[in-house]
Amino acid sequence: MTMYISATFKELTRKRVFLVTFILTVVFMVLFALGVRELTGVIGMNTVSAAERMLNGMVLMVLGLFFAQLLSAFFVLFSTMGTITGEQESGLLLAVAARSLPRWRLYLAKWLGHAVWITVYNAVLFLSLVWIVYSLAGLPLLPGDILRGLGLFLWMPLLLLSLTMLGSVYLPMLGNGICSALLYGFALFCGLVEGISVYGGVNPAVEKFMLVTGLLLPTDSVYRRSLYELAGGADWAGLAISDVGPFSIANVPSNAFLLYTAGYAALLLLLGCRAFSRKDL
Amino acid sequence: MMIETAELTKTYNGRGGCRGITLQVQEGSIFGLLGPNGAGKSTFVKMLAGLHRPDSGRATVLGQPLGRPEARRKLGYLPELFRFQDWLTPAEVLRFHGQLGGLRPQETRSPAFRARVRDTLDLVGLSEAADRRVGGFSKGMQQRLGLAAALLLEPELVILDEPASALDPVGRYEIRSLLKQLRKRGVTVFLNTHLLEDVEELCDAAAFLYGGELLAAGPLHELLGGTGGVSWRFRLGGWLPESWEELASATGGTQAPLLHLAEADDQGNALLTARVTDREQAGYLCSLFIRSGLTLYESGPEPNSLEAWFLRMAESRKGGVRQ
Repeated sequence: MTMYISATFKELTRKRVFLVTFILTVVFMVLFALGVRELTGVIGMNTVSAAERMLNGMVLMVLGLFFAQLLSAFFVLFSTMGTITGEQESGLLLAVAARSLPRWRLYLAKWLGHAVWITVYNAVLFLSLVWIVYSLAGLPLLPGDILRGLGLFLWMPLLLLSLTMLGSVYLPMLGNGICSALLYGFALFCGLVEGISVYGGVNPAVEKFMLVTGLLLPTDSVYRRSLYELAGGADWAGLAISDVGPFSIANVPSNAFLLYTAGYAALLLLLGCRAFSRKDL
Repeated sequence: MMIETAELTKTYNGRGGCRGITLQVQEGSIFGLLGPNGAGKSTFVKMLAGLHRPDSGRATVLGQPLGRPEARRKLGYLPELFRFQDWLTPAEVLRFHGQLGGLRPQETRSPAFRARVRDTLDLVGLSEAADRRVGGFSKGMQQRLGLAAALLLEPELVILDEPASALDPVGRYEIRSLLKQLRKRGVTVFLNTHLLEDVEELCDAAAFLYGGELLAAGPLHELLGGTGGVSWRFRLGGWLPESWEELASATGGTQAPLLHLAEADDQGNALLTARVTDREQAGYLCSLFIRSGLTLYESGPEPNSLEAWFLRMAESRKGGVRQ
């Protein structure tokens, strides 16, 4: 089951995926750090109250993590959209799938191989951003909140990975990439609409559409819960992220919803294993 | 039996594929699967390798139903159109396949396994390229690596789908030698190939597929002649319309049935073929032609007798004749 961890690492490093991602991520981090430094100067962090400092810091954190989740999603989509049909079309799967490893285990091994390196990348991304905002904007954060926020931030791309891999059993590489990106885009868009709704409510029909999209791909809901936890959960978050424009959190996804996402991921993996086991290669 | 199928069928939305294939492959033999493009050979091979699920019928590979991990552990498979990870070296590819084949990661790092990898790469002529990335390999080198991956875990049965299609003549010769070595070691080889000379030289038995149906299967000598022996050809001069009767009377009618007039022209040139049991019988026929006043220009085993059989089979099916 673990053979794909090192195989995926070799693929990501030797195809220079990690190198390019690392360079561009560093560029993003530097620009973000410069931006935070500039904004904290403009806002004048040292002259405002602690509450205002926290709110301003939180705005910067929300902005940074919003773009970080975009980077993370692109990393997942581009590195995994051809996992099954792409490898089938290129002939890579033929010799592999004829081996004695049962197909369902092969599918899970591939998922695990991607999941480990996606988690490593996202952890570095998240912690770097949090450190920048903490050190430059002076945002007070507690280790427990960071850990809960990190855990949920890492869970989000794994949900997207599960969906993209299932899609790759059925759809050609490009079709799967487009389909997964559109679903992710819908979820993101619905999250932004919901953020705006805190200022003037939202049409019930739109609300239902957002609910269905959230159930189809709950990445944005998990991202918002991650922010909520990072902001201190029930103690601070209501104040901190209720007035950041489209990034505001109108409804905090519940624990029951998080449980749903666990079932969602398990179901996608189960369907993927089943479909891959029955697929003619 | 190493492979046994009964009415094995796989179609794609009712079209293509293969239908009702029943055949057996004996342990320790080399079995050739023949047929023109689109005959359903690759579909059949993929079912044996566990890559395709049959629509109907039954089959066992190494005594196990199709697709069972127990059987696939003892099976080496070289696909027709395949690729290995460009970013790995051959040794890394083989280590990866060792793990896919059930070895634990620490086992694939052991000196014994490393030696096995070296030996296998040496066997297929890739030892000098062991540290190069597969991405820089030619098609022939990739095919050799595919063969190495198939042979790595010392399988009891090897299924090879066009193993020499991308190789140069030297490479083809080496593959033929390798397959002979495998047979000596008791490994059963199932060979799907377009190279009839390989089948003729290597195979103990063969099957012919056409349009998804099995037209013939059995020991090669039976398929080619039914009674055994070798097809021999004689190119003659001085041939006259009455020469046929003269030959028959010269032998008292005993040899004439062996002979077949393949070609004759009005310049007196003729090509005769005969199925002979040994060289002595061919020599007797040569002396007979000379005694009958004919000029013997050429005599020898008929090249590509399998090719002639292949074409006959394909033509008969085109004409709607079932075997």
